[in-house]
Amino acid sequence: MKKRRLMAVMLAGTMVVGLLTACTDSSKVSSTSTESTSDSSKTEGTDTGAEIADFKIDASQIPQEKLDTTLYVACSIRGLENPYIATIADGMDMFCEYLDSIGQKYEKQVLDSGGSNDVEIDNMKQFAAKAGGNAIAYADPNESAIAPSLAEAMAESGGYLGTAWNKPDDVGPQDYDPNWVIHTSADNVANGKATAKALFDSMGGKGKIFVIEGMLGNTASNSRVEGLEEALAEYPDIEVAHQDTGNWATNEALTLVETWLNDTPDVGGVWCANDNMATGALQALDAKGLKGKVGVTGIDANPDIVEGVKDGSVIATVSSNGYLQGGYTLAVCYAVWTGLITTEELPENYRTFLTPAIMITKDTVDDYVTEYVDSIPEYDFSDIWYCKADK
Amino acid sequence: MGEKNQAALSIREEFAAKVKADNRREKLMKWAPVGVLAALILVFCILKGSSFLSLSNLSAILNQWSLPLLVALGLTFVIMIGSIDLSIDGTVGMVGSLTAIFVANSKNTANLGIIGLLLAVLCSVVIGFLVGVIHVKFKIPSFMVSFAFMNICIGIGMLSYSGKPATIRDPLMMAIPKASFLGIPVITWIALAVLALCFYIQEYTPFGRHVYAVGTDETIPKAVGINVNRIKIKVFTLAGFCYGVAGIVGALRLGQGQIAIGTDQMFPAQAAVVIGGTALTGGKGGVMNTVVGTLIMTVLINGLTMMGVNPNIKTGIQGVIILIAVIFTIKHGATVISK
Repeated sequence: MKKRRLMAVMLAGTMVVGLLTACTDSSKVSSTSTESTSDSSKTEGTDTGAEIADFKIDASQIPQEKLDTTLYVACSIRGLENPYIATIADGMDMFCEYLDSIGQKYEKQVLDSGGSNDVEIDNMKQFAAKAGGNAIAYADPNESAIAPSLAEAMAESGGYLGTAWNKPDDVGPQDYDPNWVIHTSADNVANGKATAKALFDSMGGKGKIFVIEGMLGNTASNSRVEGLEEALAEYPDIEVAHQDTGNWATNEALTLVETWLNDTPDVGGVWCANDNMATGALQALDAKGLKGKVGVTGIDANPDIVEGVKDGSVIATVSSNGYLQGGYTLAVCYAVWTGLITTEELPENYRTFLTPAIMITKDTVDDYVTEYVDSIPEYDFSDIWYCKADK
Repeated sequence: MGEKNQAALSIREEFAAKVKADNRREKLMKWAPVGVLAALILVFCILKGSSFLSLSNLSAILNQWSLPLLVALGLTFVIMIGSIDLSIDGTVGMVGSLTAIFVANSKNTANLGIIGLLLAVLCSVVIGFLVGVIHVKFKIPSFMVSFAFMNICIGIGMLSYSGKPATIRDPLMMAIPKASFLGIPVITWIALAVLALCFYIQEYTPFGRHVYAVGTDETIPKAVGINVNRIKIKVFTLAGFCYGVAGIVGALRLGQGQIAIGTDQMFPAQAAVVIGGTALTGGKGGVMNTVVGTLIMTVLINGLTMMGVNPNIKTGIQGVIILIAVIFTIKHGATVISK
């Protein structure tokens, strides 16, 4: 009996070692994917009506009874611990100031999912039920798969939802008419590619890099990595020495780079799928005296990373502009709730589209700081399609 | 008559043999965790060669080991009295967040230096004390009380920086994660100091012995007049102290205060304590077991990371290896419950 157990354990051990060796090889191969399923291809289309593009909320057209009804406004997010996500909530506040200016009665709320799919769906259900149809919400679905569930939660009680970043490819706002109004995303593929190219250029087009992905299975992370792979295809002398997920987290990225530096001390750059992880990478490099010598890139424009761009330790980051995403998504939903526009009259490229992003490098960082860090940008939320990248 | 004697003798012999076998097994089990650790190191050395054993990687392992060790040290005492503590993710994250806003930082004008660190640890000591008091006074299971405190602490931590984490600017604090003494990172020295303290408490104080007694069978120390409740409160307070130091180490290493410093620390710590040989039923094990247990977990993650295992299956492999380690190291058949 004992022998048999020992045998079983040994067998399992051998299997694991076998797996380990096998995986090492396979992980290195998975780099180039030629498929170009960039988000942009899906959202391109002919602009059917110039009137739609020029649409603006005219407060005088909103019926008084709507203005007097309490509108419930929410943003559903993963938690306020991330600086980027905090700007989404700021965007909601800015939009609410606009509501104040036109005399709309409202109540606002932040729905914090704490990174849990179930909590996010439950939050949305409760919020929608409470509002009884008088609800507009921005949601950043924790994972792609739950975007339809959030739309369904809203559809049950008749409110209006706009989602960002994550949704399954085969489901979209038009499947939940009229309650799922829009789905937007920053052009992750383009952003991932742009930061990668900036990094490779800073390395003179050759050398070894570390790649730190975001959460596995997350659309934003996958698309950013896809952009990186497109860039890698253009720079044949760049070699990926290590690639792993840092789960969007600073401490995990720190551990990864700290470990990798021991077998690849000659690394030339670190590409990170977001700025939180770039912070961790910088800490690991700093401990080895390599900060400033090995370039790092991220995405999100966290304050410390923007500072890094200024002092030269960070090559590039991208601002997805959470103010704009949070504020304008709500503005579009508001226009539909008031009845000033209907979802039927919106062509598909006004239902699913890309939002503009701001690339921050050494050359542009000063302008960015003046406009977005030292002051909060001002937006005209009546011009609801200002948030469309191709407008 | 002779036959009867014969039977009695054989029973006695059988019993003696059984005791002997048990003792042998016990001895073997005691060293099993060390064997697992050695096996892991051997496997990674074969697969990854000199880079795994390089001085710089050993230093990286020590760095990565410090925080889990601190967390697991605190948890060891809690598990030894047969309780459980779910507050870890919250307390560690809270102290990490507070540390960054107490010392010179990018967010406010505070500049408390070392006093800031002490203040941050004090917060988690108070939390640990409260968990203990509420657990024993209101007779609420420790996992429930500590779960509530996990959420409370996450709340405090998040509130402290509201979405925009503070970056540490204190030159001394910024230098600590880069510094080493006798080839060992200063961060690790901090963890080792707490380890020494915990070892001293466990081995050389009455409190340490009482912890074992409470974990084995509460009624016995109660019968001899030991205040069991007070022991329990002390254990949770000590645990709070360890989590606090872990939070500080986390913040110093990141150079930033975030709740994420504590995220997902609890289950690996639990696994490390159990793999090290401390029984979930209480009364068995100790801090040295935890040293081995946490080293196993750290070496495992470091090795897998260095090997470049495909991230899609890394977590799974980690699980399989933990399972194997547990099969080797914990005593089977014992009732596994937590009070």
